[in-house]
Amino acid sequence: MLRARPDDTGDEVPPVAARSRSTPVERWFAAQGWKIFAFQRDTWQAALRGESGLLHASTGSGKTYAVWFAALQHAVPALAKAGPLPLTDMPAAGARRTRAINQTGLRILWITPMRALASDTARALEAPLNALLPAWTIGSRTGDTSGSERARQLRSLPSALITTPESLSLLLSQDDAAARFGKLDAVIVDEWHELMGSKRGVQTQLALARLRRWRPQLMVWGLSATLGNLQQSKDALLGEGRGVLVQGKTRKKIVVDTLIPAHPSRFAWAGHLGLQMLPAVAAEIDGHASTLVFTNTRSQAELWYQNLLAARPDWAGLIALHHGSLDREVRDWVELAIKNGQLKAVVCTSSLDLGVDFAPVERVLQIGSARGVARLLQRAGRSGHSPGRVSRVTLVPTNTLELLEAAGARHAVAAGQVEQRPVPDTPLDVLVQHLVTIALGGGFRSQELFDEVRTAYSYRALRPDQWQWALDFVARGGQSLTAYPEYQRVAPDADGVYRVPDAAIARRHRMSIGTIVSDASMQVQYLRGARIGTIEEGFIARLRAGDRFLFGGRMLEFVRVHEMTAYVRRATSGSGAVPRWQGGRLPLSSTLAHAVLDCLEEAAHDAYRGPEMQAMQPLLALQQQWSALPTARKLVVEHLHSREGHHLFFYPFAGRLVHVGLAALISYRLAQRRAATFSIAVNDYGFELLSATPIDVTDLFPAADMDGALFSSAHLLEDVIASLNATELTQRRFREIARISGLVFQGFPGQPKSTRQLQASASLFFEVFRKHDAGNLLLTQAQTEVLEQELELQRLRETLEELRGRSLQVCNIARATPFGFPLMVERFREKLSTEKLSDRVARMLQELEKAAAR
Amino acid sequence: MTAAHSAEGGALDVTVFGEQLSLLSQRALLWRARKMLIVADIHFGKAAAFRAGGIPVPHGTTRANLDALDALVAAHEVAHIVFLGDFLHARTARAPATMLALQRWRERHPDLQLTLVRGNHDRHAGDPPPQLDVDVVDEPWRVGPLALCHHPQEAVDAYVLAGHIHPVVRLAVGRDSLRLPCFVFGAKQATLPAFGAFTGGYDVRGEQGEQLFVCTDDRVFAYPRSP
Repeated sequence: MLRARPDDTGDEVPPVAARSRSTPVERWFAAQGWKIFAFQRDTWQAALRGESGLLHASTGSGKTYAVWFAALQHAVPALAKAGPLPLTDMPAAGARRTRAINQTGLRILWITPMRALASDTARALEAPLNALLPAWTIGSRTGDTSGSERARQLRSLPSALITTPESLSLLLSQDDAAARFGKLDAVIVDEWHELMGSKRGVQTQLALARLRRWRPQLMVWGLSATLGNLQQSKDALLGEGRGVLVQGKTRKKIVVDTLIPAHPSRFAWAGHLGLQMLPAVAAEIDGHASTLVFTNTRSQAELWYQNLLAARPDWAGLIALHHGSLDREVRDWVELAIKNGQLKAVVCTSSLDLGVDFAPVERVLQIGSARGVARLLQRAGRSGHSPGRVSRVTLVPTNTLELLEAAGARHAVAAGQVEQRPVPDTPLDVLVQHLVTIALGGGFRSQELFDEVRTAYSYRALRPDQWQWALDFVARGGQSLTAYPEYQRVAPDADGVYRVPDAAIARRHRMSIGTIVSDASMQVQYLRGARIGTIEEGFIARLRAGDRFLFGGRMLEFVRVHEMTAYVRRATSGSGAVPRWQGGRLPLSSTLAHAVLDCLEEAAHDAYRGPEMQAMQPLLALQQQWSALPTARKLVVEHLHSREGHHLFFYPFAGRLVHVGLAALISYRLAQRRAATFSIAVNDYGFELLSATPIDVTDLFPAADMDGALFSSAHLLEDVIASLNATELTQRRFREIARISGLVFQGFPGQPKSTRQLQASASLFFEVFRKHDAGNLLLTQAQTEVLEQELELQRLRETLEELRGRSLQVCNIARATPFGFPLMVERFREKLSTEKLSDRVARMLQELEKAAAR
Repeated sequence: MTAAHSAEGGALDVTVFGEQLSLLSQRALLWRARKMLIVADIHFGKAAAFRAGGIPVPHGTTRANLDALDALVAAHEVAHIVFLGDFLHARTARAPATMLALQRWRERHPDLQLTLVRGNHDRHAGDPPPQLDVDVVDEPWRVGPLALCHHPQEAVDAYVLAGHIHPVVRLAVGRDSLRLPCFVFGAKQATLPAFGAFTGGYDVRGEQGEQLFVCTDDRVFAYPRSP
């Protein structure tokens, strides 16, 4: 990724030999023996015209130097002029090394989502500077930067600074920020596709709005991988309708294939195939020098690592484990070992989706469905970096139905269908944090900052009343009608400039800038002292001394908890629990789901293309024989009467999250017609409603036609909120919002007692706001985020529309079908009810008693 | 401790050291024989202390605390309220509006005897102002066979009632999970849930020989004993 590769194919421009007619940049490329690609030239020419843009290219294609030289030539136009560099830019050789203090001021800012990338990026960016701009200095500033380096940067920033969105905001909170950025010419945002969909991206947008205000001619370039909504990605970075979109070199060939199980079962449930595929996976690892084994969850990674070691004890020391809860030092070691080619395989999670290139990696395996096409492409791109190799990812299904997803993924990749990534809309928590940051960084006037913030894409529709609310929240304590004399966070001075008057509040804010909210987690540490990583508090809370659990690839014995650290020792033998971490279970993407429906459509016409579909034929044939195949044109509903009760199975193929909402919605609407209580089970393909009372299907679906009312989009929002326990979902969501908006302050070691007295949990704030300040817009935001992100309301709306357009086939079945079976065994049964709290507790206690009696 | 049994209004009665105590769903304990209402960790002025620290908390939590006390005093025969520590949250909790509300409340209940057993927050925040007419004592404060404390502890020949922990219990059945304040009763001591409207909770599971009693809006439930 960091280097233009001579072996890359594509449009090439012959090296310019004639010294007098070539530019310094062209001569440097020629000196490296590299050719300049057409897209690199396109980028540079746009930059020389002062244009901003988004470069969309795959990794390892020379995109880094495309934007780096764009920025350099924009900052120092002499680099783009034929002939030698003027002497003023060429101080005596070696001067750069000895010059500690930079004379040029900060000229170029490079924003990266991962601080681990900063040092590799610095090395790549520095390479051409020695020859071209020896007077320039380069430095990085991230959470990892040492105190002495920070102090030096405080005196003078380097010519080019590599930083993260969080560290950039921290720089903006210094009171002389305007002067520090006064000479800035260009900003590069690396891996923008990783940032744009998150609040970190919004934080970046706001920082760019601030920088553009100080430097109206500021040039901004973003780098992005393939996305379904590149235009919007560009707009989010540069402003609506601004900047150019440059298409990088065409992606190198990507191969997607599947390890087909020897005996695919016709009745699949989540995970049952998993370890059956272990020998096949081990054989793949054996046959290649270096393999990355991606899993979807950290628990799954722990299990696979453990079982691979058990199967091949001779691999001890040759295979490793990598996931986000392991200690940073452990992860750094693993990453270095992959880069150096010391490891045969690494079992990892999305923690290795990003990051430096691992040239030695030959093979990428994906355990279970990748859930999305973009993710699959990203992971495929982790292999095949050596010259002349293709990127290849091999899917390892953990149940038979995942073969469908594998077939769908191949279709989608071949057709070039990739998911869109939504951009957050008006998140007020990030705005609240930004207001305090800017109040610290020189202060602001209300109207001026309002205008500036509205230039950021996510706030283009920010209303004056929302702005006023956010301002009141930080300046007056929330309710605009109440004055709290004791409250002060941000206050206007005599000139109407809002500042932070209190040093303690300023310090606390700077310590908590950022939008990355970690789970409530505990350090896990050996009694002797070495740290292993972090585990969710909830898991630790259930352990008793002596209990065993699998973590970091080792069996550990829990000893005790002391001051937010769980102390453990190595367990000698035996088995134990595997910790579960919250989140991480992504739903099947809409793009992939539609590709799956296309495959089913073909199967319905007896066309089984590809090894995956052929392996699935027995299962699909049985489904068709007992019931019918759901496709993009047909919704299949199955009705089954069993000892458990009356089951309705629906197969919309819209992803787990949409099915949660859809199942609740349908059962709510059914219950309104006739009183009934439903248990609900969902997976990515469909959902099941189970009722104790009989369901009259002919009454429910009178015509063989789609029931318009049942699948109507009217009153969707009200019905969804009424049908789900939205409060609890919202409360969980509020945790992140409370942290970002500065309500909850994550403690730090050695904090003074006075700070501890100001700590309360997000759930407590949630309760207090709900009771005493119900109009608080942060509560509204939490609800919106639940609806849009956790229940995917927009996608639910689209799904309903699609369903109304499908024909309906209701099948009475005698026993569970291949598609229905996994839903029946799906463990959780979520009761849809509006029970009173005390009734609910009584029921829960009764169930606990029953379980205890067994 | 004898087995708990249901009492009127969703309460549960337990007997320790020969004294019958009613556990109220409002997270308070009523010692009927002494007409004594016992509450732990009310943390008056916590919201004000947060506001003084630049963290916006809406007003209404002091009002909620006082209303809750009013409701209990109206519903039961109460002559004496004992606060098991942490009456004021912090030095900065003494915001004028908070102190005024407390004063007004005291004026409406001139005959109530009030006692505070000092807790850790009281040491920093200081004793309540004299006009509130609160007797202030140090733990352990002996009343009959009971020792009233802030910090959980053991007494040689008394049953200890304490606070400080803010115990809550997590109920989880399948995907359904709830976190509710609870009383923790052991052989020689009990911990009360936090009474304050703006107080958090600390997860407890009930150690060997302990019985948890869970508070919902209108009932107290005995939690299944740990095996």
